[in-house]
Amino acid sequence: MPPTPPKKPIPERFVVAPATLWFDRFMNHFIKVGGLAIIVAVFLIFFFILLQIFPLFRGARVEPAATVSIPPGDYRTMGTDEWSELPFFLEQDGTLRFVDTVDIGGPHHRGSFVKAPSFIDEVEIAYARYNEYQAFLLYGTTDGRFSIVNVDYQPTFPARGGRQVVVSLRETPLLNVGRQGMTVERLAYGDSGTRKILAAIQRVNGRSELHAVSLAQRRTLLGPGELTVDGRYDLTEFLDGEPRHIMIPSDADALLIAFADGRVRFLHFDGRGFSERQVFTPFADRPDPRIASMNFLLGDVSVVMTAHDGANRIYSIFRDPTLDMRIWGHTKTFPDLPAGATFYSVGMRNKAFLIGSDRRASLRYGTTEAIRWEDELPFDVQFAALGPRYNRILFLDTDHTLHAYDLRDPHPQAGWKTYFGRIQYEGQATAEFSWQSTGGRDDFERKLSLVPLIIGTLKGTFYAMVFALPIALLAALYTSQFLRPDIKRFVKPTMEIMASLPSVVLGFLAALWLAPIVSNAVPSVILAVIGVTAAAYGFGYAWGNLPQRIRLCLKPGYEFLAFAPIMCLAAYAGWSLGPVVERAFFVVTDPNTGLQVPDFRLWYPTVTGLSFEQRNAFVVGFVMGFAVIPIIFTITEDALSNVPDAFRSGSLALGASRWQTAINIVLPTASAGIFSAIMIGLGRAVGETMIVVMATGNTPVTDFNPFTGMRTLSANIAVELPEAPYLGTLYRTLFLGAMVLFLMTFMVNTAAEILRQHLREKYKAVE
Amino acid sequence: MMTMENETPTHAASLKDVQQRRPEVARQNAVAKDAFNPNHIEVKDYSFFYGPNQVLFDLNMAFPERHVTALIGPSGCGKSTLLRNINRMNDLIDGISHKGDVLIEGQSIYDPFLEVISLRKRIGMVFQKSNPFPKSIYENIVYSLRVAGRNRKSELDETVETSLKAAALWDEVKDRLQESAFSLSGGQMQRLCIARAIANRPEILLMDEPCSALDPIATGKIEDLIHDLKKDYTIIIVTHNMQQAARVSDKTAFLYMGQLIEYDDTEKIFMKPSEPQTEAYVSGRFG
Ligand SMILES: Nc1ncnc2c1ncn2[C@@H]1O[C@H](COP(=O)(O)OP(=O)(O)O)[C@@H](O)[C@H]1O
Ligand SMILES: [Mg+2]
Repeated sequence: MPPTPPKKPIPERFVVAPATLWFDRFMNHFIKVGGLAIIVAVFLIFFFILLQIFPLFRGARVEPAATVSIPPGDYRTMGTDEWSELPFFLEQDGTLRFVDTVDIGGPHHRGSFVKAPSFIDEVEIAYARYNEYQAFLLYGTTDGRFSIVNVDYQPTFPARGGRQVVVSLRETPLLNVGRQGMTVERLAYGDSGTRKILAAIQRVNGRSELHAVSLAQRRTLLGPGELTVDGRYDLTEFLDGEPRHIMIPSDADALLIAFADGRVRFLHFDGRGFSERQVFTPFADRPDPRIASMNFLLGDVSVVMTAHDGANRIYSIFRDPTLDMRIWGHTKTFPDLPAGATFYSVGMRNKAFLIGSDRRASLRYGTTEAIRWEDELPFDVQFAALGPRYNRILFLDTDHTLHAYDLRDPHPQAGWKTYFGRIQYEGQATAEFSWQSTGGRDDFERKLSLVPLIIGTLKGTFYAMVFALPIALLAALYTSQFLRPDIKRFVKPTMEIMASLPSVVLGFLAALWLAPIVSNAVPSVILAVIGVTAAAYGFGYAWGNLPQRIRLCLKPGYEFLAFAPIMCLAAYAGWSLGPVVERAFFVVTDPNTGLQVPDFRLWYPTVTGLSFEQRNAFVVGFVMGFAVIPIIFTITEDALSNVPDAFRSGSLALGASRWQTAINIVLPTASAGIFSAIMIGLGRAVGETMIVVMATGNTPVTDFNPFTGMRTLSANIAVELPEAPYLGTLYRTLFLGAMVLFLMTFMVNTAAEILRQHLREKYKAVE
Repeated sequence: MMTMENETPTHAASLKDVQQRRPEVARQNAVAKDAFNPNHIEVKDYSFFYGPNQVLFDLNMAFPERHVTALIGPSGCGKSTLLRNINRMNDLIDGISHKGDVLIEGQSIYDPFLEVISLRKRIGMVFQKSNPFPKSIYENIVYSLRVAGRNRKSELDETVETSLKAAALWDEVKDRLQESAFSLSGGQMQRLCIARAIANRPEILLMDEPCSALDPIATGKIEDLIHDLKKDYTIIIVTHNMQQAARVSDKTAFLYMGQLIEYDDTEKIFMKPSEPQTEAYVSGRFG
């Protein structure tokens, strides 16, 4: 073994101070940890948003909760209270059997009890029907009379705690409808508050007759008074077949009669009389067009129909643009049921409905044509009731057992179709993309399409870029390639200060100052822009053709001194020419006064058919451009200035002009950097919120009309999140919007990065 | 990047070199240049300032047509400045000023009626560091034609071929004209730059230390090239390499601190310079 050489001590001048080493190591780790933390944070945000939107895409969950036996009887229909605690079953004789489904076997269980309207002993009930949404029963008697009985459920809060639902009945007196003494076979009633009509089919000598009455309720000092009949209509002439169903919507302006052969006749009631509007056969295209069931969806403007073969469709009433009349049309188609529906219950919070026959029960959503839940039940269903809170489903089977199911479906409307599909909403003649998250009424159909918001985002970005890109890029090109360095020293910081302008200030200026000016003088603005552009071109051309001797009066880089006054002059000329042009070309007849007035604001809609708003994309593009220009300018300018001087010199020495050098050599070489600049500007424009919120009307449009506003994804979140109930459908939908925004920018950035790498590879300078 | 022969002239060798090659050069000149304009480029009482700093002092000299003139002198003496003023590349710099005049065939380069661009088209320039554009070999060469609006394919193709042949690069790159110029080696790139500079067939070729970043083999090729080019072009070359100056040039000017110390036939400058400073510089006593 060779002897190990003795260890020489390291001379002190080679020793590294431990503090230096330690600090170096610490900083290494610190940076590593910091970088990781940022990545983790981004992922956590992503994950959080995902967590928020995930429940939107789950179906309904329905689980059995309880069963209660109810006394046997010949039941005709059922109804339930808001909490689905005290459902009732209507006996054939008109009595109501209420069954307590809470606390079964407990001390406060009320078992079942019977209530009935006071007239029940005097008359024989021939027909009864329950309206779930307005909670009234319609009774028709064998002697040709009717009564409307309100089922008043009230929650009480007993001293022992908890909640107990109590019920009382409020009935109208029995009134005659149509032919006295003739059996009432069917009834329909609509009450809009100011107008009430009731229709009845009566059996007269083996023939059906149709009668309607309008009702009036006098107000007295003691509240609503007695209901009296103030108009009678014999509508038998409209019966040209065997009537099967009659329906009156709550607006009390229509009467639908379905015949045994599958036709539906739509009568319009204008307050004075009925007139026929339309006859249609909902299942005309099916081999068996007969209608098995017909029920309103929440809001009474859509009718859920099934045919005997199980076809399931929705017909809605909307204004037909060609007829200019409200008619019924086929709007939704659902998968077939095994047979015509034998039970139906309407959702009272949304457009869901529970439908089925025999053992098959299906929970469907009217707006989206989606099946939220469907199952083959282990019993034959006689009636079903969808809990008014949309949290329970009650089934009564043919063996007098009530089955209660828990329903968990917090976002019944959510789904791909809602967010990205065309939907024909109630009252609309065509399927469209539309966003309208809140409406004035409980039965309002929410419109949650993200498409208008995506289009709005693209529109805002587009107009901002149309304005910002040429200015920012050309300014950067000019500043880096043509401007004298001593002036450049002022220009760049000034632009950077512009970038720090808070966007709320820009939005404020846009909304309150610029929008009115621009909308008052659109031709002037356009002409000024054209003027400046034309002046720039003209000046450039003329200057290039001037002899060098004259050009040399201005040192290279100071040409703008000559151009500036010409530009101002051109802008001014364009601006003052605006009214002249308006008088010459944009003359319309003022609809208010009938005079011929030159007004672009009125002219534009009449000629293009598009609307004109004061706060429009034009203004937003202009102001958002201001937010984007400094960013694009600064980064582009840096990229251009970083092009190695050797390229410039090489080009100039070959006899290229400064412009040729800039365009042929400098621009392509800096293209990767310029591209980044554009992308960062684009990102800013896509995500820009305050300017859009303030400077547009936030109308979710789906067009690229420069003279209407738009609603962007980000503005939508800002506007609606404060109003959105926590964890509700809207709340989660807004997060979905955020996700879409995130994905949009992510995709744009990724594509941009790939392209940028490619450009950088292509134009990278030799070392 | 730098080879040893740059910056420090190796003098003993240079003198030997001159002695060996002079007769041959002289013979060539006698054959090819019986009729030439000895005052192709004239520099008259020329002073030049970067802002307040005077860099060139009252220069007076003339560059003969179709000859190679070398500018030598220590770093910072103003060789590049003089060169870059001939095609007015210094115009790009802020705060420059000049006195006196530079004439090309009797016409002042500062004539206000003379377009700088057309001046530069007359004068090709090769830089110290090769600077091909980030384009294909082909596009590099035809650049000067394209900016002049000459886009006819046949003309471009012809120009590429003749220029590359003149720059002795044709055989090496003729199959890869569409490849990026950056795929070439350092020496090839510099020859590409020379080909590019002569594509528009200028009259004058300015070369600012064209070989300083090249290895000896590449340098040798460029020097041969300069030899071939001088039958068509008036060449002014700045070099730090005494051997190179001796090998390629017909006349040599020695600048020192912005002043023209001595300007004469290369042979004379290297064999028996009249100024002691020249003597000291070419023999390596300072540099
Ligand atoms: N762009 C410039 N601005 C100011 N001074 C310069 C510039 N270029 C060169 N100089 C100065 O001019 C002098 C001559 O430089 P240069 O002509 O490059 O010398 P050489 O090429 O002989 O080494 C040097 O002192 C240098 O510092
Ligand atoms: Mg130099």
